[in-house]
Amino acid sequence: MRTCSLPPLLVLAACLFTQTIDVRAAAPSQIKKSLARISNTSQEPNYRQPWLAGVTGGGSGTGWVVSSNRIMTNAHVVSNARFLTLEKENDPKKYIALVEHIAHDCDLAVLKVEDASFFTGTVPLEIGDIPEIETEVSVYGYPIGGERLSVTRGVVSRIDFRSYVHSAIDSHLTIQIDAAINPGNSGGPVLQNGKVVGVAFQGFSGDVAQNVGYMIPTPVIKRFLTDIADGQYDRYMDLSIGVVNTLNPALRKGLGLKDDDLGVMVASVASAGVCHGHLKPRDVILSIDSLPVASDGTVELNGDRVQMAEVAERKFRGENIKFSLIRDGKPMDITVPFSTSWPYTMQSNQFDVQPTYILVGGLLFQPLSRNLISSVQFQNLRIHYYFEAFTPREIYKKHPEVIVLTGILADPINTYLGDFKEAIVEEINGAKISTLRDMSEQLAKPSEFYEIRFVGNGRPLVLEKSAIESARERIKTRYGVEQEQNLN
Amino acid sequence: MSLLKQSVVFGSLLFSSFASLPAKDAASNPPDARKDSTMAAKAASKSPAASENPAPNASTPPAAGAPNVSQKDTSLKLMESMARTLVTQNIVRLNITAQAFDFARPWSKRAPMARKALGTVLPGNLLLCTAEAIANSTYIELESPDGENKEPATVVCVDYEANLALLKPDSKEFLRGKTGFGLTAARVGDALTACQLESNGNLLLSRGQMTTAEVLRYPIDESAFLVCRASCPLQMKDATLAIPVLKDAKLVGLTLRYDAQSSLLEIIPSVVIEHFLKDAKDGKYDGFPRMGCSFAPTRDPQLRRYLKLSGNNSGVLITQVASGGPSEVAGIHKGDVVLEIAGQAIDSDGNYRDADFGRISLGHLVSTRHMQNDSLPVRILRDGKELETSVKVTRKPVEEYLSEPYIIDRGPRYYVLGGMVLQELSRQYLKEFGNDWTRKAPLELLHFDRIQSELEDSGKRKLVMISRVLPSNVTIGYEDIRHVLVNMINDVPIKSLSDVPEALKATKDGLIKIELASDPSLIFLDANAVEQITPVMRRSYGITSMSRLE
Repeated sequence: MRTCSLPPLLVLAACLFTQTIDVRAAAPSQIKKSLARISNTSQEPNYRQPWLAGVTGGGSGTGWVVSSNRIMTNAHVVSNARFLTLEKENDPKKYIALVEHIAHDCDLAVLKVEDASFFTGTVPLEIGDIPEIETEVSVYGYPIGGERLSVTRGVVSRIDFRSYVHSAIDSHLTIQIDAAINPGNSGGPVLQNGKVVGVAFQGFSGDVAQNVGYMIPTPVIKRFLTDIADGQYDRYMDLSIGVVNTLNPALRKGLGLKDDDLGVMVASVASAGVCHGHLKPRDVILSIDSLPVASDGTVELNGDRVQMAEVAERKFRGENIKFSLIRDGKPMDITVPFSTSWPYTMQSNQFDVQPTYILVGGLLFQPLSRNLISSVQFQNLRIHYYFEAFTPREIYKKHPEVIVLTGILADPINTYLGDFKEAIVEEINGAKISTLRDMSEQLAKPSEFYEIRFVGNGRPLVLEKSAIESARERIKTRYGVEQEQNLN
Repeated sequence: MSLLKQSVVFGSLLFSSFASLPAKDAASNPPDARKDSTMAAKAASKSPAASENPAPNASTPPAAGAPNVSQKDTSLKLMESMARTLVTQNIVRLNITAQAFDFARPWSKRAPMARKALGTVLPGNLLLCTAEAIANSTYIELESPDGENKEPATVVCVDYEANLALLKPDSKEFLRGKTGFGLTAARVGDALTACQLESNGNLLLSRGQMTTAEVLRYPIDESAFLVCRASCPLQMKDATLAIPVLKDAKLVGLTLRYDAQSSLLEIIPSVVIEHFLKDAKDGKYDGFPRMGCSFAPTRDPQLRRYLKLSGNNSGVLITQVASGGPSEVAGIHKGDVVLEIAGQAIDSDGNYRDADFGRISLGHLVSTRHMQNDSLPVRILRDGKELETSVKVTRKPVEEYLSEPYIIDRGPRYYVLGGMVLQELSRQYLKEFGNDWTRKAPLELLHFDRIQSELEDSGKRKLVMISRVLPSNVTIGYEDIRHVLVNMINDVPIKSLSDVPEALKATKDGLIKIELASDPSLIFLDANAVEQITPVMRRSYGITSMSRLE
């Protein structure tokens, strides 16, 4: 399920780059031969000056051989990568790696290695099933605290649906273990009886909770590998509906339900989601793919009670999902095709993208996104509301891109325009603006004046074409702006 | 706006939750107060410009040995001797017990809080203080400066927007023989004296100079009035609210805010006080009127050319006209340019030239220079043509706001329906989230409060929400509902809480149907079960009354 709330202080277990490692003697076990330490030189885009390339940084994590020519790791270990190297435990060489597939919504990635000799002596690790609660597991990786391979051991504490902090909005099945998972462990395999039962990926910082580490369980890993089998990653499918429990007897009576503790009520159907046009608010879902849905929204899947959303989680693009419903008191069956994934990504962290923007008359316009909001401290409450309400209140219907005047490069043309900072663009010369491309098109039309109107603000911002033109080179030179817009 | 946030000490009690009042224990104060006064007296003898304090014995002339008495100093001394008699007569202490409603449990009040302020005697057996000093008061006690006489008082008139209140002692004896202060206007550059009381009843006078006059926000965010600023170091005393500020032994205002770091004193000026007193005189208080529109400056030459304004630096652009408000009635449109109000030219920043205070915002001209229902001639520019109209200015009563900016001296409206607590969104409700309310309160509610003028045409008079659920066997499954807006009950649109009892009468088949603006979007309650649970809720949650709709 798509959610916007982020549990506090969950931290990713990638490690900041501090120093290079020197290679020590080989570990005897086969498992250790199939591990790699990954070093990532990354580049973070600069949202305050989006025409700049951004600053480089680095980090490290762990990877493991998943097939004869692939390394698996976490997406966050290799995000925004400019240069990736792999090191093996008993090999002095540094191997250059490339990201083959990356899935930010489930924090997994597979890498390929240019030099095939990397795989000499490695054996792909076998992928197992969901381990039982209280059984022992071992975490392999290269966490902080030393240079060589580290192994920690613990038990499976809990199996639950939880938020994946890398993308900030996705939740999937997660396994909590009490083995230490520290920065650098990210991407490393968690093993039981010689089989991979998870990929270590996040934990709490020590001042929040102790002995709590999380791993990505094998259903998520297998789903990712199945998804990329056709050569591209299609992302998770999402029902994009809000459902509520039907525990209340009066609600059950009002909805015409039997007293059998079954069914959840559809409270909302996102108009950009796959269920739009198929499900309606007030429908009661009795079963999903023939699995009965209890009144608290759970289904029994492989002997466990899990949230109904888990059924959709395991589907791929192109597949269908079947619902048995009660609509207006009448039973009916409906099939929803998973034709597209959720189209809007602005609420999740974005990687490997260059910020889009338009700079005109020294005014910087950018579409609202989680990346933007985490680099610019907005004071305007409306921006925060539009961000949080983007999906639940369907802000996207009017504003598929919420275009914000984020900054002003001071120049005589904009001396009196300071009050417009952080306003949200509504129209230009009477034409509604819903995307940055719309805006670029309006500004390209010949006009003596460009009258920009903002949401909830009766005051127009007026720029004269002649003033824009005479300010262009002046601003570009003074502020070192290479390019006045990036629309892609 | 930013300045308001920086001002720390005395003001903006109404801004924050009432629980955060700087309640000081009077008993612990005297030793500190004496120490303060002696230290200040030493400082004063070194630097005559600093605050001067009379010696503990009031008959001893202060700063007797000060050499080279200039003419200014003489006048100050003269003023002070006059002030001493006048002030000791005409300042009283106010001991206020206030009890605010608990918006989280709207049927009950919070613990009572003690507050201390100063009351300034006005002619006619009346006392002036700030509204925030007596906000939510349950008992007001007057105390003579020496602490000998005490007397209860009642509020005659209060304006929370202008932050002023008029009190009357219960017995005429208390103010017998006191003449009261006359009012006078302070101008920039005037020497002002802030009058505080030592714990022993002596005067503590602090001098400063008026620096600016500007229209600024008052503690209630919806209101902006003239504020006079003075640079004047004040001492922290037990009564820090409503300190009178004098010029030539006449009242020029009461303290609004004080920032101890910069010694910046902000004053509610006499011109605002005079408006308040004039309005209160007939026993029917109307408040400060407004035009009911918003405007933006037209300084930007690109905007001026776009609007085809001539280059003479005049006029403001109307950006919003409140529906049903005075400007709309007068035919003013969004996009008009206002050139002149009541014969005063309006410049491109929205200022006019005031006879007393120079260039200040037209807000002062409309709200303070005029009374409710005054008709103001307004000259506007529309499509290049000048038009004349007349705006009958009125105040929008606080009850008419979609989200009321303040709810003081009265309980918040609520309705408990089988454990679902229904309340109306108000700024006061949001402020109950504490000093950090703009970040802690639910974002959607903050947003609706902020943009309420944009929701005017929705037909709603209030935004009714389920603020929380008190779990009972009626509300099983609904425990997590919090701050969700109510659209309809039993298919009856809910435009304010007053619609709820009527809507409940439309209950069909024993089921109350509630439609919400967001998830869970629809809930049902068993009407019989609600009825049965009500006395149980009363007992178990201590709810004295299941609703307040007045």
